[in-house]
Amino acid sequence: MRKRTLARGLAGIWWGTLFFLYIPLFVIVLFSFNSANSTAIFESFSLAWYRRLFDNEQIIDAFGNSLVLAVSSSIIALVIGCLIGYGMYRHRHRKLGWLIALIYLPIVLPDIVFGISEMAFFVQIHDWTGLLKPGLGTMIIAHVTFQIPFVALIVYSRFVGLDPTLFEAAKDLYASPLKRVVHFMVPTIKPALISAFFLSFTLSIDDFVISFFTAGPESATLPIYIWSAIKKGVTPEINAIATLMISAVAIAAIFSMLFNRQGRR
Amino acid sequence: MSFPGAVPTARSRAMVRETRHLLFTVTPGAFWIFTFLVLPSAYLMGVAFMTNGPYGLPQMPLSLDSFERLAGVGFLGWSPGNLYTLLRSLWQTLVSTVLVVIIAYPVAYYITTCREKWRPILLLLVVVPSWTNQVIRAFGWMNLLAPGTPLSNLAESLGLVAPNMGLYPSNFAVTLGLVYNFLPFMVLPLYAAFEKLDTAQVQAAQDLYASPVRAFWHAVFPQTLPGLLAGTVLVAIPAFGMYVIPELLGGGKGMMLGNLVANQFSGSSNWPLGAAGAILMLIATFIGLFAMRRIGKRLGGGEEVVI
Repeated sequence: MRKRTLARGLAGIWWGTLFFLYIPLFVIVLFSFNSANSTAIFESFSLAWYRRLFDNEQIIDAFGNSLVLAVSSSIIALVIGCLIGYGMYRHRHRKLGWLIALIYLPIVLPDIVFGISEMAFFVQIHDWTGLLKPGLGTMIIAHVTFQIPFVALIVYSRFVGLDPTLFEAAKDLYASPLKRVVHFMVPTIKPALISAFFLSFTLSIDDFVISFFTAGPESATLPIYIWSAIKKGVTPEINAIATLMISAVAIAAIFSMLFNRQGRR
Repeated sequence: MSFPGAVPTARSRAMVRETRHLLFTVTPGAFWIFTFLVLPSAYLMGVAFMTNGPYGLPQMPLSLDSFERLAGVGFLGWSPGNLYTLLRSLWQTLVSTVLVVIIAYPVAYYITTCREKWRPILLLLVVVPSWTNQVIRAFGWMNLLAPGTPLSNLAESLGLVAPNMGLYPSNFAVTLGLVYNFLPFMVLPLYAAFEKLDTAQVQAAQDLYASPVRAFWHAVFPQTLPGLLAGTVLVAIPAFGMYVIPELLGGGKGMMLGNLVANQFSGSSNWPLGAAGAILMLIATFIGLFAMRRIGKRLGGGEEVVI
């Protein structure tokens, strides 16, 4: 009897938590279809805010900036992170504590401190040399910095999971270093490379604080655009952009669910 | 075996090659993080010890002005504004972490009681909302808590808020936003701990006629403690330095340390003061990390608490 009450209580908490987690997102989606300019009263269904959205050049630009930033920073981070991940594996018998501390630094640093120190540094360097003008370039640098550790750790753990004799075999068959990289390394760690790229991409798309402080006046990303729209005064247009972003996440979630299922078969 | 004065052997040449290999693979990444993170952080630390110049930019001579300002000493004598901000940050971190634990504990346990094939999907359902941008999620709560919404009207009719004020901006809204934001970070490590739970211990406790509370306290709780600690690190440290949620949901009165720091760098404020705040934040972060590691090691579950 007592057991059943406990089970019911647990299920109640579970459903309550799900409601809590999804209600703010639901409200955004609902009010993006509101015909009135209100976020409190739903008048009638309309697509007006979406039409406004696609006419707004700033939003299109911000979306383009987000994509360029995410793709280019992920590619750079993938190359650098891969090298460091492999180096950490190959030379793991050496004392590389300093390297590991360095790698963990971007992860443990509070993002506000991260963003502000980059911004202050870039402004100072720009003042002295004229280089590193705040804009897409500085944002890419900052994003690569926080993506490198994740790539390195993913690649490292993939190498650790491999059979060490594989490396010996490739060497024994007189493969040149280049051939070993192209025909052995890249194919064997391909899953790690793919997941590292997608993780970097997601981290970049999702980031607000670090982008906000390293952005220039013309390099606003979508989250930065939304932020300034909120600050200037709330309009349901934000609901419409946010709904599109939530849909993207929902699609990604469905894909990962299917992927999960397949993986366990 | 090596002999003194030996000619360069194949072995020593191989060592040189190995070192070159290490440098080739590790240097680009180490250089990048050093140039674009260690140097900027060091620069920020330096700024904290400079004087506030025109337009808020740092200038010589070196001084401890910004630390005095941070402690509240200004032209008009001592004012507790910054101290309140610090205390509010600590309080919000504590309250939201405790609330997150209270919610996450039963949720993580509930997932382990479900059928195995459902568990990954249930976990995914908890995590998915956190994939949307945090600005959007905070905006969702702004929509829900603004004056005139059902929730605000309910709170008004219960006499919890003044008429036409709404539930946001307020400290309550910040707490809610923090709990909302960090809940998944607690559920995941707790779930991992629950999944590995040794049920034989619970059985033994029940066989020895332990009350459910005692069985939980002595057989279940210690086993989930490493997960709880890992979750606390993932929740409390970022919550303490949070910027977006207090800025959007707290208004001027709900400011936390992150906002105090950030505000000194926007417009023509005071870089040295902001940098001093950043140092304070870093000290708190490293004390938190260190304490958790110590506790984790003492419990023997050391590896799991390492981030």
